[in-house]
Amino acid sequence: MQPLLEIEALGFSYENAVTPVFRELSLLVNEGELVLIKGASGTGKSTLLRLICRLQAYEKGRILFRGRAVESIAPAELRHSVTYVAQIPSMMDANVKDNLLFPFSFTANSSRTEPSDKQLSGMLEQFYLQDISLSHQARNLSVGQQQRIALMRALLLDPEILLLDEPTSALDAKSASMVFKIIEHLNSRRGKTILMVTHSNYFPNNVAPVIYMLENRKLRKV
Amino acid sequence: MSQVVEIGLWQLLLGLIFILIAQTASFVYHLGLNRDITVGTVRTFAQLFLMGYALTFIFQLNNLWFTLGIFAVMAISASFIVRGRVKEKQVPYMLPTFLTMFISYFVTALFVSGLIIGVTPWWEPRYFLPIGGMVIGNSMSALAIALERLFREMRQQKDLIETKLCLGADYREASSEMFKNAVTAGMIPSINAMMGVGLVFIPGMMSGQILAGADPLQAIRYQIVIMLMLVGSTATTSIIAILIVRKRCFGRGEELLLSTSNQ
Repeated sequence: MQPLLEIEALGFSYENAVTPVFRELSLLVNEGELVLIKGASGTGKSTLLRLICRLQAYEKGRILFRGRAVESIAPAELRHSVTYVAQIPSMMDANVKDNLLFPFSFTANSSRTEPSDKQLSGMLEQFYLQDISLSHQARNLSVGQQQRIALMRALLLDPEILLLDEPTSALDAKSASMVFKIIEHLNSRRGKTILMVTHSNYFPNNVAPVIYMLENRKLRKV
Repeated sequence: MSQVVEIGLWQLLLGLIFILIAQTASFVYHLGLNRDITVGTVRTFAQLFLMGYALTFIFQLNNLWFTLGIFAVMAISASFIVRGRVKEKQVPYMLPTFLTMFISYFVTALFVSGLIIGVTPWWEPRYFLPIGGMVIGNSMSALAIALERLFREMRQQKDLIETKLCLGADYREASSEMFKNAVTAGMIPSINAMMGVGLVFIPGMMSGQILAGADPLQAIRYQIVIMLMLVGSTATTSIIAILIVRKRCFGRGEELLLSTSNQ
């Protein structure tokens, strides 16, 4: 079976840096997998996710999505299939509903149907956000709540693979546990493929993640 | 019409009293502006006398290529002034900015001098260069404001732009707000000038014509054309330059090339 995402001999350096961030880095992610990437701070975990969705350009090697080099896919098309959710959620100065629906105004998402208010409210409940309404100002929410809104926003576009960049790093234990439950549910019940950078091992129930360590500029399967 | 009352050398030097007042104020209140005021005064005298002699020479020469050459020098100088104000290090914006400035200014000056005023030949330096100078001077400021605003907002809103890109936006959709804000910021001064003209201030060109003995009703016609021309040229220059420069802020994968700090 063809892997969903394949990275071959990836090389990347920051401008003017003496040593590269990655050298000959490889990774396979199959459909339906939950893959965790761990590693010390500054080893390039976030950079790896950003290279996959072309938020940064890499120098050597290949990144393939469904067997196609990511450079051969139109950036907007790639990113609505391979969606990156940043460590710190970014909200527009608008209410929750507008923050959830603005991606539907983009040309690449024009074929997708906008969810109704009822569907959105139902989703808020699933994401443990039953206490907030669609008319709440998004920037007034806590970081934990914004993180869940950001996750919800990405899922509304039904991407094929979610790239999550330390989604719980800025959260308290309770909020982090909620986000982990959601991720677990997305993977085990809805079969969503997830590639996630995290420090945590907290997946107690139905999920057996594939774990990699990022060290010495390469990924090592644990 | 009355003759121009000439200003003699001594009368000109009498004008330095205003500088003396400014220097005294700077000295008394420790504003630290004495050196700048002195340099500014010397430069005003030197640059304007030089320009006076140069214009006399250019008008007498009355040569197409020489006139266009002077125009090109004015546009090049303006693009360097823009660079000095914007100070952007990560995105190469000078060449598209200069080309946009040159073409837009040339077309505007040509339109006003050749078509609206109807000078023959269209490049008659007495008309073409002052009009070109006004277009360049005003649009240059508008462009500097617009570019500075674009780069600043793109940096400040980097996270939001990247979030939009990640959710399927193309680079235009991801940066539409910043584009709009930059162009608006550049255009507001010339729109405000239209609001206040004749009420709050008498524009320099019109004042000059009236002082030189022209009929005020003719002077206002010139001024109206100039005001309309300035709004048009600031709009076209800002929009075209910002469209091109915004594209340059993104890489081949439509990734934002600007980092948070301008290093």
